[in-house]
Amino acid sequence: MEAHAELRDEALARLAACTELAELRSVEKDYLGPEGAIGALLASIPSLPKEERPKVGAAANRLKKELEAGLDKARGELETARVAAERAGGDFDPSLPPRRAARGSLHPLTKVRREVERIFSSMGYDIADGPEVELDYYNFQALNIPVDHPSREMQDTFYCDEEHHLVMRTQTSPVQIRVMEQRQPPFRLIAPGRVFRNEEQDATHNHTFHQVEGLVVGEGIQVGHLTGTLKGFLAELFQRQVQVRLRPGYFPFVEPGFELDVACPFCDEKGGTCRVCKGVGWVEFCGCGLVHPEVLAAGFGGRDDVDLDKLTGFAFGFGLDRLVMLRYGLDDIRNLMGGDLRFLEQF
Amino acid sequence: MFVSIKWLGRHVDLTGIAPEDLARELTLRTAEVEGCEPFAPHLGAITVGLVRERVAHPDADRLSVCTVEIGAEEPLTIVCGAPNVRAGLKVAVATVGTVLPGDFKIKKAKIRGQASSGMICSLAELDLGADHDGIWELPEEAPVGSDLASALGLEDWVLEIDNKSLTHRPDLWGHRGLAREVAAIFGRPLLPLDTSIPACGAGPPPQVTIEESAAELCPRYLALALDGVRVEPSPLWLRCLLAAAGQRPLDLLVDLSNFVMLDLGQPNHLFDRAAVADGIEVRRAAAAEEMVTLDEGRHTLGSEDLLICSGQRPVALAGVMGGADSKVAPETRELLLEVANFHGTTVRRTAMRTGLRSESSARFEKNLDGELVPAAAGHLVRTLLSIQPEVTLPSPPMDVGVYATPDLSVELSPEMVRERLGVELDDNHISTSLASLGFDITAANGVYSVGVPSWRATKDISIAEDLVEEVGRLHGYDNIPPRPLVGELTPPLHDARRTLVEALQDRLAGGARFHEVLGYSFLHAELCERLGICDQPHVRLVNPVAEGEDRVRRSVLPSLLGRLEINRRQRERVAIFEIGKGYLPEEPGDRGQPREIHELGLAWSVPPSDKGAAFDDGAFSRLAGVMEDLLAQLGFGCASFVGLAPDAGRPAWAHPGRGALCSLADGTAVGFIAELEPGLHRPLGLMDDLVSDVACATLSLDALLAAEKPAFRPRKLPRFPETKVDVALACPAAMPAGDLAAMIERAGKGLVGDLELFDLYRGANLPTGQKSLAWHLRLRAEDRTLGENDVARFLGRLERAAAAADCTLRRD
Repeated sequence: MEAHAELRDEALARLAACTELAELRSVEKDYLGPEGAIGALLASIPSLPKEERPKVGAAANRLKKELEAGLDKARGELETARVAAERAGGDFDPSLPPRRAARGSLHPLTKVRREVERIFSSMGYDIADGPEVELDYYNFQALNIPVDHPSREMQDTFYCDEEHHLVMRTQTSPVQIRVMEQRQPPFRLIAPGRVFRNEEQDATHNHTFHQVEGLVVGEGIQVGHLTGTLKGFLAELFQRQVQVRLRPGYFPFVEPGFELDVACPFCDEKGGTCRVCKGVGWVEFCGCGLVHPEVLAAGFGGRDDVDLDKLTGFAFGFGLDRLVMLRYGLDDIRNLMGGDLRFLEQF
Repeated sequence: MFVSIKWLGRHVDLTGIAPEDLARELTLRTAEVEGCEPFAPHLGAITVGLVRERVAHPDADRLSVCTVEIGAEEPLTIVCGAPNVRAGLKVAVATVGTVLPGDFKIKKAKIRGQASSGMICSLAELDLGADHDGIWELPEEAPVGSDLASALGLEDWVLEIDNKSLTHRPDLWGHRGLAREVAAIFGRPLLPLDTSIPACGAGPPPQVTIEESAAELCPRYLALALDGVRVEPSPLWLRCLLAAAGQRPLDLLVDLSNFVMLDLGQPNHLFDRAAVADGIEVRRAAAAEEMVTLDEGRHTLGSEDLLICSGQRPVALAGVMGGADSKVAPETRELLLEVANFHGTTVRRTAMRTGLRSESSARFEKNLDGELVPAAAGHLVRTLLSIQPEVTLPSPPMDVGVYATPDLSVELSPEMVRERLGVELDDNHISTSLASLGFDITAANGVYSVGVPSWRATKDISIAEDLVEEVGRLHGYDNIPPRPLVGELTPPLHDARRTLVEALQDRLAGGARFHEVLGYSFLHAELCERLGICDQPHVRLVNPVAEGEDRVRRSVLPSLLGRLEINRRQRERVAIFEIGKGYLPEEPGDRGQPREIHELGLAWSVPPSDKGAAFDDGAFSRLAGVMEDLLAQLGFGCASFVGLAPDAGRPAWAHPGRGALCSLADGTAVGFIAELEPGLHRPLGLMDDLVSDVACATLSLDALLAAEKPAFRPRKLPRFPETKVDVALACPAAMPAGDLAAMIERAGKGLVGDLELFDLYRGANLPTGQKSLAWHLRLRAEDRTLGENDVARFLGRLERAAAAADCTLRRD
């Protein structure tokens, strides 16, 4: 038998015996590769007698094509078999506990603060900031809280010096004055931040907590604007209409001053045994009011570009920790600052 | 403050108004009502009984066995210890199962062998008096079997009002003031009350002098002598009103004094006249002067405290508490009534300094209406006379002080009320509202001149806005329609710091898998001591929340360190961060406020890595990777970590040799990163099971905000394929990897597109004192496919550069 015929028999036999892709690759390499047998056969042609050359050449090329087609077909069959086997599935168990993805978390106060900021920002409010170690002037005096006002007594305020010149701010309201000093009305802003009160600590009181101050200054500001704004904010925050009620409240830096209650988001104003509103049906949400003329005078006084007689405004302040607690149904404010990841990682 | 609805009914007709409605309307228009409960519900559970028979207990001298009829088929047998129990008496019976105040449940009992089913009650047991000497003898006409509350007309409701909502309203610290509000809210008249002082004898009036230096502290002082008073229990109506208002009834004089205070809001005091025979002098206390108060407390006073004295001897701490020596005794018949107006802040401060905050001081500190002084005296005397008609007033009252009736009026335009409230109220509505609260209105040219009544004139009402509030709250704020704010639409101001903070938080909580924590601004001395930072300047609190918790943090990092232990107990990997403020008092601003810094603190704690772990498995390397990623993500380009000279300053928590400044490409230092000082592991609780590798870092937001970001130019996709080459360089052990990387970059002449260290090797096959660093390189050119020659030339340049720097390019 001629050499090329032997080569053909051998190659087709090997091809037929292949059961895996790797074997096909080896067949391909051995016959079709750069150093393969068909290459060698072709390379041997010049050394053959002249009359044999066309015959061997044609046979080699035929074999090459035949092998290529055979390989493609075998590959196709193996792939079809592999896909069929994969599809059959085997002992797959989707309920095996998945590999846990490590995760980080944002603090719940950060999450809710951002939400508050996003809503007010969308209503055209700027976001302001102020120092936590604050001058008595901004924290009290300029806010119409006179020297002998009870809230300035030692038990409420952390003082940073014997002269009581510096305090840990007891509210975010000093930002009102700081902004008034620097800006030209009209403007509207919120100022979230950390505040401090030297009070007894329990599940709903901590010496460090967070407030969001709001301030709108312009001409013709009315009580209705205040309720309209806060209602709009709450509806967006809770993603539904929220009942509110406005009642008298005393804060020296507003006149008239109000407390705004929210229909308890947990029991929907039904009260009863609700532990969030303690059965009242309403939850105190924020202190607010029209900005007191003394405060406007302290913030804008002595400026040519501001006409105090025409200026009006409203201000509000609410506790962010309380909002977080309402949002998630938490019962101990101290967990927020406790730094225990078993609690924080959930957010 | 507790308010009795029955008591309110003495001043305004409440017919047809349910207690809950009253509570709600007060909350919505005046002050927050926190509670609305029936008064003494236990009285409704007590039954009127008739003692049919009383026999002595066979085995006990002082006990009686009584047969008591309570309207049921069978009378009860009750053992009673009171001396005054007798047949024919109407008594208050607590049957078995009744719960008395103090959570005292009546059970069936055997007393000295005698079965007893129930209890005959004394006033004290029902919280209606102090006398324990006997059972309560009920009036003849009380119907047997009915409940005590309805039999005696004791039904009442108690409102609890949040004191904080009354801070600015001295007039609401008494029932009459609240009744005035109720009258205005419900449109009913306030009933008249005669508070004039009745006719007096012509004797010499009491002597009262106010020392000149105390004139401002005591603007008004009235003294009135009373003769023929008997100390006895108060009538039932008075006890019940006081009990409902939360005041325990004691005896007639104490009760009357409290009654007037709770009715008009004006505290007052009764002296034994013999103890003040030398006349009254009101003066400031001398430095370190001592006095003993009614409660036997001894107090050291100073010139800011106001004293009521007689013959130099203090007899009362003004507005706060009477003295022990001038107390009214059971046999006292001649009294001196004091009704005064004291300076609010003085009373508050004295009460706080001495720890004697009382119902009296709580009222004085609100700045009371001076007109209440004679009114309270008249009211007390008239009430006393209604109970003991034989009492006489031997002399006219002495009423002294610099006080003058206020004459305050405020201009108000009705238009302003409409504008501020945003409601169309007509002029008539506005003036009627104000008049119903006692304001006196004179209209001229469309503007009101509003006379402020004395009870609102001390601090409360002084400007037109105050009157807007009065009209608004009576109208009901809830009736004001909400409306949207209208304004010019401009984008909110851009806040670079807020944007930066959010980007940091998101990257850390996201890809870096850190948890955000918020720590207190106050550092405990113990933690400061452990960290060795006690000597650093800190803002210090004068009155910390707890002993030692008085330092305000300079940096957020110490707060994070304090949280490692509790979290390492729960988990292996603790990766936490906080973005917050720190305060540096050594760099004060123009008004003395400390400099505020904004900082990101990061702490990473994991169990120690194995000896054979990869070079980049350590806490430092991983945290540095987080920092590098953060800065790159924020657009600050490539961060570098530069070791510090041994003598350079570093935070107290930082390992002295394993830390680095974190710098931006232009060399600006923006942060610091280091492993934890080894001496701190144990003090921070990271030992035994919790032994950890800890790395910490700080990043200054202030520095980042001030730094210039390099322009961001995204790389184009390479047009020609890259060539991957691995190289290993042996070098002296002390040579920084950064120097080798720079050497590779230089030898690459721009071809090194990316280089990554994948092995750091020390040990066999290397000369002593050497280490080997192996790198994956990607070479690429912008204009052609690199060939073997390019690689060979690069390796040649690298080999020569290495040799020149005492290194060797290793070829396997």
